[in-house]
Amino acid sequence: MENLEYERLAWALLYGHIAIIVIGGFITVLSQNLVRALVGLIMTLFGVAGLFFLMAAPFIALMQILIYVGAVSVLIFFAIMLTSAWPGGDESGTISVRKIIFAGLAAIAPAIFLGMAAILKPPPSFLIPDEIEVGILGRFFLEDFILPFELISLLLTVAMAGAVVLAFEMRRKK
Amino acid sequence: MSVMTIYHLVAIFLLCIGIFGIAYRRTLIGIVLSIELILNGAGLSIMASAQLTPTPNELGQVGTLLVMGIAAAEATLLLAIFLVVSRRFKNVEAGKLITMRG
Repeated sequence: MENLEYERLAWALLYGHIAIIVIGGFITVLSQNLVRALVGLIMTLFGVAGLFFLMAAPFIALMQILIYVGAVSVLIFFAIMLTSAWPGGDESGTISVRKIIFAGLAAIAPAIFLGMAAILKPPPSFLIPDEIEVGILGRFFLEDFILPFELISLLLTVAMAGAVVLAFEMRRKK
Repeated sequence: MSVMTIYHLVAIFLLCIGIFGIAYRRTLIGIVLSIELILNGAGLSIMASAQLTPTPNELGQVGTLLVMGIAAAEATLLLAIFLVVSRRFKNVEAGKLITMRG
């Protein structure tokens, strides 16, 4: 009896988070104000973090909140503010029907193919995933996956250095 | 329909709405928001495929973390690029940036 209750709770959580993701996605894409669109993106990111929690991966869910909601959103907010996207570059104004139709077609094509693949040929899967300890994940990173780990560190360093170089060059030109 | 299929359909939804946004949005920042949606969908799909099948769980979690790292690096670089573009062209609309030299 108790298990059944928990299962119902899990389903409710699953569909609730999916609803948050869908609403946030539509706000992100369709909102005319870029700051509102960013808030929609944050909503979607929280929804995906909730799905990670439901898949028994709490570490990755917390990383999602830390990295995406904490860092990437703030970066995009800075980009919105510093480029002063309001007066001419805002998303306001009418958009031609042709563009909407083409954008819809571009979105529907992968939906049909990938959706059919996911629905018609699903591989065997569990209902309840196992949780692994963070320590095991850390050992996996530093023993088996040491090269990708170091490469992603290098990539982040190069991206930071490149951003600083670009910004400094801008100031010298001025 | 298994649970994994539901997760995969959510990931496909994120991919499709991201592609729609890339084609629909006018400013570069709106396009970046859509790219973040797509990358999140990729992470969700990788995680579901590893957690809910016999594949080792570490693989999926590591892959999702790598996707997040790449997204962070990309957002950093794009912020700097947008700053330079907005200084040189005075706007960030994708349709108006038609010359390579500033």
